[in-house]
Amino acid sequence: MEKLWPVELSPRTKYLRTFWAELARVHSHLLWLGLLADAFGFESMFLQFWRIRERVLDLLEMTAGHRVIPSVNIVGGVRRDITPEQKKVIIETLDIIRKESDSLVKVITNDYTVKARTVGVGVLTKEQAFALGCVGPVLRASGVSEDVRLTKYGAYGDLNYEPIVETAGDCYARTLVRARELFQSIDLQLEVLNKMPEGEIAVKVKGNPPANEAVMRMEAPRGELIYYAKGNGTRNLERMKIRTPTFANLPSLLVMLPGCQLADVPVIVLAIDPCICCMER
Amino acid sequence: MLPTILKNLFTGYATRLYPVQVREPFDKARGHISFSEDKCVMCGICAQRCPSVAITVEKKLNKLTFYPFRCIVCEVCVHACPSDAIELIFKWRPSSYDKPEEVYKSTRLEHLRVSTEEAKNKEKEKSE
Repeated sequence: MEKLWPVELSPRTKYLRTFWAELARVHSHLLWLGLLADAFGFESMFLQFWRIRERVLDLLEMTAGHRVIPSVNIVGGVRRDITPEQKKVIIETLDIIRKESDSLVKVITNDYTVKARTVGVGVLTKEQAFALGCVGPVLRASGVSEDVRLTKYGAYGDLNYEPIVETAGDCYARTLVRARELFQSIDLQLEVLNKMPEGEIAVKVKGNPPANEAVMRMEAPRGELIYYAKGNGTRNLERMKIRTPTFANLPSLLVMLPGCQLADVPVIVLAIDPCICCMER
Repeated sequence: MLPTILKNLFTGYATRLYPVQVREPFDKARGHISFSEDKCVMCGICAQRCPSVAITVEKKLNKLTFYPFRCIVCEVCVHACPSDAIELIFKWRPSSYDKPEEVYKSTRLEHLRVSTEEAKNKEKEKSE
């Protein structure tokens, strides 16, 4: 929305938004790893992952007020700030999350049963993934190094960020990508917290959205998310379009599903991390 | 996997025995919103801004209806209210079996109406 005016955001706003985005990524990947375990019947692992996820939700609640959707963004900035006391608690909790997920991720990446259910299942080659327009971890698991965070929006320009890429293109590779991104995301959060500059958290934006259009791409936990907004000078926007990552990843099922075993269907469908309710927009 | 299993055998419960044991909410956790009837002027801006249609305002009847179970506590109305009549309370709303509506009327608007009527009556008396 800020691109419509355009408004220059304060550096602290960018860092805070990046922090919440990465926190949401940790929560989303932990959720997905739990659901993957559930998809092939590893019920106890599912609960183990969700137990760690509870810590992330507590962090979100402490900093933003809500457990899943932070609702902190306003046009021109954010509503909440992170105090030094909160920062201390966040760093301690992130450390615990890292230790706890480390022991669980070892299980999910080395266990014989997990490998039997995911290795070689739902293979998507590099060319296929690119041609079908896949995004996010699905694309990176097939060996394409593509991530919107490389465009350096938000505070990503100041952070050490390298996309995580696997080449096998099966469900196991997608699990590895997400598991490694989990730890990378925790590192990014610590970096954000350490580098966060002082300053205003919101800039005042005056007037209605001008007659202008803007496109914003960002890397959501599931992949590339595109926002398009068009204003016409009045209070209401003329057009608003959101392209969610699930919509881009769904065609890949046409390649992955034919010929697979029936028992593998839940694992393959889950591997693209579908969110049907946010797909239809 | 063995350390994880052993750890789980000897650690306590991961859950709490709600409602006997209630976790204290965080300082700035968004609990619910509350309206103050002595500040509201029934302008209806909150009802216009609310993304989940949780507030309806009928100015003629001096009636504001709030549907707490539609509210997502996004804080938009709190910031939009020109007379600071909506407040965010950092405590969770207690659970309930039904979905009650809350109806408010503005005492400030009543005072305003009464005073304007009085002023009109005085003007009439003067002109007579």
